[in-house]
Amino acid sequence: MTSLTSSAAAVPQQRGLLTGRPVAGRARRAVTDRRLAWAAAGLLALVTLVALLAPVLAPHDPLQPVGLPSSPPGAGGFLLGTDTIGRDLLSRTLLGIRTSWLASLAVVAVGLLVGGTVGLAAGALGGWVDGLLMRVTDLFLSLPATLVAIAVVAALGPGLFNTFLAISLVWWPFYARIVRGEVRALAARPHVEAARLAGAGGVRIALRHLLPGVVPSAVVTASLDIGNVVLTLASLSFLGLGQSAPAPELGADTARTLAELLQHWWIPVVPGLGALALSLAGNVGGDGVRALLTRRR
Amino acid sequence: MTTYVLRRLGALAALLVALSGLLFVLRRSSSGDPVRALVGANASQEAIARARADLGLDQPLTVQYGHYLAGLVRGDLGTSYRTRRPVGEDIAAFGPPTLELVAAAFVVALVLALLFAVSSILRWPGAVVFRAVLQVGAAAPTFLLAIGGIVLFSAVLGWLPSGGRGTPGDPVDQALHLLLPALALGIAPALALGRVLRSSLLTTLAADHVRTARAKGLGEAATLRRHVLRNSAGPALSMAGLQLGFMLAGVLVVENVFTWNGLGSYLASSIPVDDYPAIAGVTLVLGATYVVVNAVVDVLQALADPRTSA
Repeated sequence: MTSLTSSAAAVPQQRGLLTGRPVAGRARRAVTDRRLAWAAAGLLALVTLVALLAPVLAPHDPLQPVGLPSSPPGAGGFLLGTDTIGRDLLSRTLLGIRTSWLASLAVVAVGLLVGGTVGLAAGALGGWVDGLLMRVTDLFLSLPATLVAIAVVAALGPGLFNTFLAISLVWWPFYARIVRGEVRALAARPHVEAARLAGAGGVRIALRHLLPGVVPSAVVTASLDIGNVVLTLASLSFLGLGQSAPAPELGADTARTLAELLQHWWIPVVPGLGALALSLAGNVGGDGVRALLTRRR
Repeated sequence: MTTYVLRRLGALAALLVALSGLLFVLRRSSSGDPVRALVGANASQEAIARARADLGLDQPLTVQYGHYLAGLVRGDLGTSYRTRRPVGEDIAAFGPPTLELVAAAFVVALVLALLFAVSSILRWPGAVVFRAVLQVGAAAPTFLLAIGGIVLFSAVLGWLPSGGRGTPGDPVDQALHLLLPALALGIAPALALGRVLRSSLLTTLAADHVRTARAKGLGEAATLRRHVLRNSAGPALSMAGLQLGFMLAGVLVVENVFTWNGLGSYLASSIPVDDYPAIAGVTLVLGATYVVVNAVVDVLQALADPRTSA
């Protein structure tokens, strides 16, 4: 339990603390709030499920023309309409959602892993290691992430894996900062001191006494971050840095069909709405995870 | 204070060197071959060797980086493979429209953020709707906001033009052309900014001097204006600096939707042909802008509130 207390302190600006809601009302709402939080966090699992099952859920082949070109949503049995060459937009968007969501989860996972390791090492070791690692982290944090990612993909050549690599490269420092701050705060707590006095080694202290305390806030940060990664991926894809032509992708599908906007608005709009839905799901789900992990105090 | 400013300038220099170093390393590993781009695919071995020597590619990497840095200081960003013109000249030509758009979006973001922050504290009837719109707006990809804006305001309502920069010499027409792109670019930063402003407003509102102002009978509006807003501006200022990074990337997307002839359109034409010097040039100029502005913001903040430099 003690470890959870510190995670609450590390997540700044909790809403509701300063709004001055009456205490009795708070208690009454606590139960409903908690159910809502579970539902919101469950959204992340649901979207992941949809992403994994997208090839099964898609009613048509996303790459082949299956209907009349440019049918509006609903016409001819196509729920979201068809694009300029008659491909089913629902199927394409589902597959685009799959790519975007899984890539975003991967970026966040890599960020957690790399940033977490750097932050844990810096915080646990202290001294010059801390100084060096944090200067590097600050350096990355001070550069505009999306712009650097654009340059990296441009140099490596467009493609999904390179985009994922580029975003991961600029994404980890954020986690390193948060984990390191958390570890420093934990290291000053009695249970860590007790472990040290009991003769536990550095690695044991880092893995058994510091790492578990960092997990809640790292998970909260990560889940609130998925929406941002989705949007960054969509932007890079829109600029032509994602997968090449026939593959369905949320940003690129909009960019390629911009000319249709005034005649057949749904063709560029539908993939964009897919990205909006993903990022909203990420934000709402992240809020839910935060509510669940920071409530227990 | 002087030490703080000097330290901040030192950090700025380190950042600029790091940014240029990163772009230099990336250029080495880039898929486009500068020699081939210069001499063409059918050149003889001698011509290739000569071009390599001309470009200095046969020298050690450290020497090459030195040349590259020296070039940057002179404003030499290399030659674009696509336009065959110096990248510096291209950026000088395409930069001003981008600057104009970012500046306009910044104003939009500030106004919306202020509305968001103040409205959520004063609890006016429309506040819920306004906040919901901003929440969804901030979760939307920039390109969707842009095309959504075109569908709504140009196609359906017919209030605003859907692209281009307007008739030169007609400020009203140009302002109308600017409004929609600026709105699309400004909404997400407005929410981030509004949140920070809101929480710092709430902190200030709970401060003693505000209670004193109210106790002496000052109206709510006057209290906000004279005792709260100014004191709450600090955190919002640094957030504004950070949001600039988002805008400098977002502007690249927005320009392509609105056929706005700036750096974003330049970049979008450079990406499909692997024109790395042009891409690196745009990244460097925008990245440097971001880094410099944030250094200025930090120094300004330290001047306004000496506590931040401690």
